[in-house]
Amino acid sequence: MTQQPVVFKGTRKGLSIYIANDAKIEDIRSAADSKLKSGKPFFDGATVNLTFLGREFNSQEQSQLLELFAQYMKIGTVEFTQAPARQEEYPSDDHYNFFDGIEEGMARFVRGTVRSGQRIFYEGNIVVIGDVNPGGEVIAGGNILVLGTLRGIAYAGATGNSSAVVASYCLQPTQLRIAGYITRAPEGETIKPPYPEVAYIKGDQLIIEPYLPGKGKQAESILQTKV
Amino acid sequence: MGEVIVITSGKGGVGKTTTTANIGTALALEGKKVVLIDADIGLRNLDVVMGLENRIVYDLVDVVEGTCRLKQALIRDKRFNGLHLLPAAQTRDKNAVTPAQMQKLCEELKQHFDFILIDCPAGIEQGFKNAIAGADKAVVVTVPEVSAVRDADRIIGLLASNELPNPLLIVNRLRMDMVKRGDMMDIDDTIDILGVDLLGVVPDDEKIIVSSNRGEPAVTEDSSLAGQAYRNIAKRLLGEDVPLMNLQTEETFMDKLRKLFSGKNKKKH
Repeated sequence: MTQQPVVFKGTRKGLSIYIANDAKIEDIRSAADSKLKSGKPFFDGATVNLTFLGREFNSQEQSQLLELFAQYMKIGTVEFTQAPARQEEYPSDDHYNFFDGIEEGMARFVRGTVRSGQRIFYEGNIVVIGDVNPGGEVIAGGNILVLGTLRGIAYAGATGNSSAVVASYCLQPTQLRIAGYITRAPEGETIKPPYPEVAYIKGDQLIIEPYLPGKGKQAESILQTKV
Repeated sequence: MGEVIVITSGKGGVGKTTTTANIGTALALEGKKVVLIDADIGLRNLDVVMGLENRIVYDLVDVVEGTCRLKQALIRDKRFNGLHLLPAAQTRDKNAVTPAQMQKLCEELKQHFDFILIDCPAGIEQGFKNAIAGADKAVVVTVPEVSAVRDADRIIGLLASNELPNPLLIVNRLRMDMVKRGDMMDIDDTIDILGVDLLGVVPDDEKIIVSSNRGEPAVTEDSSLAGQAYRNIAKRLLGEDVPLMNLQTEETFMDKLRKLFSGKNKKKH
């Protein structure tokens, strides 16, 4: 396995960036840029603490790198440190690719309604005990459950896990995103679903269907395809 | 000890100033000592709606800057016993006052009045922060339009993060005929989204425009539907249990029949 020039790893403190000792600065920048692009919605607007590990940089290179990261996020603290002593301590590349605690993993509980202008953001699963109103956003690395009406934007699997789901007692989102898939409410008259529904990705499509057996089976609907 | 109530909405033009003027006047008619504060510095309107524009000598900014005493700036409304206005400055802007100064001012006014109503400017910036700083309670005004409800929702969120949870809601300018045709959001839809307690519903009423232009609050007119709604709201603020006005009086048997059929048709589509 050839070592990647740049590897991202999310930690409790923020984002650790492992950089190969022998990588050229151009390669590092282009690799970091493509990774940041793919994670753009995840980082967007969030304040992130950065720790660079590995290759040493001179001050000019450091500022170039920070400039690049600043395009995608608000930078919190920055630290440049030496590489871990042993090669094994480098995380494997797919480690950060997505939050994989879909079946069982960390979760954040939000009490009360997420109103317009509020944004809930968490790396794991999110449970909202209340509504999500239009203009409100819920972004999770894992699943999103809304124990109320979902009228705003929900983005599950924001770090790329396409097996994440969005479930709500009343699913009427402005926009629904799961991993790289995005759908919006159909034009025209809005129908209020009388039963709880779940949205997930099957094959190449984002599917919305009731999750209680025997309820509204005939109303099962397949929405738009991949964007 | 009085109560400070801020009247806010987020969106402009939904009737904050009219609401402030009418509730204030109605409370004064109920025998309470009331002061209305216009917090919309630089775009003052409350004095015009109250018909007190030509009596302004000192204003809110003069008070907080110590140019005059509080008593000098308060304009006593001679028509209604116990009603006072603290006008905004027109030549300054929102940054002329700080939230701390507003807080101090409200504390002082609380000693002398039963109700202090603050007319909040539109927006969520400095003016809004000033207006809510000293408030004990908030009233959110909205109209049954999607954009106004969206803004009201944002405002309710901001109020909650500023220690003013559970504001009361006034749905202004409701047109029953449009609701019946399905062209306007009805009250239930609005409350369902916002999830707060309803303080009152004010029907759309042409007389409001006339009375605002004349500087005579609509609550003084017995024939005005909106005036009646504001009188009810004032009574509810005083703790009375007043049922919502029946705005559907003109619904006949034929209307009900039509509604029934149009409802059925909708489901088929």
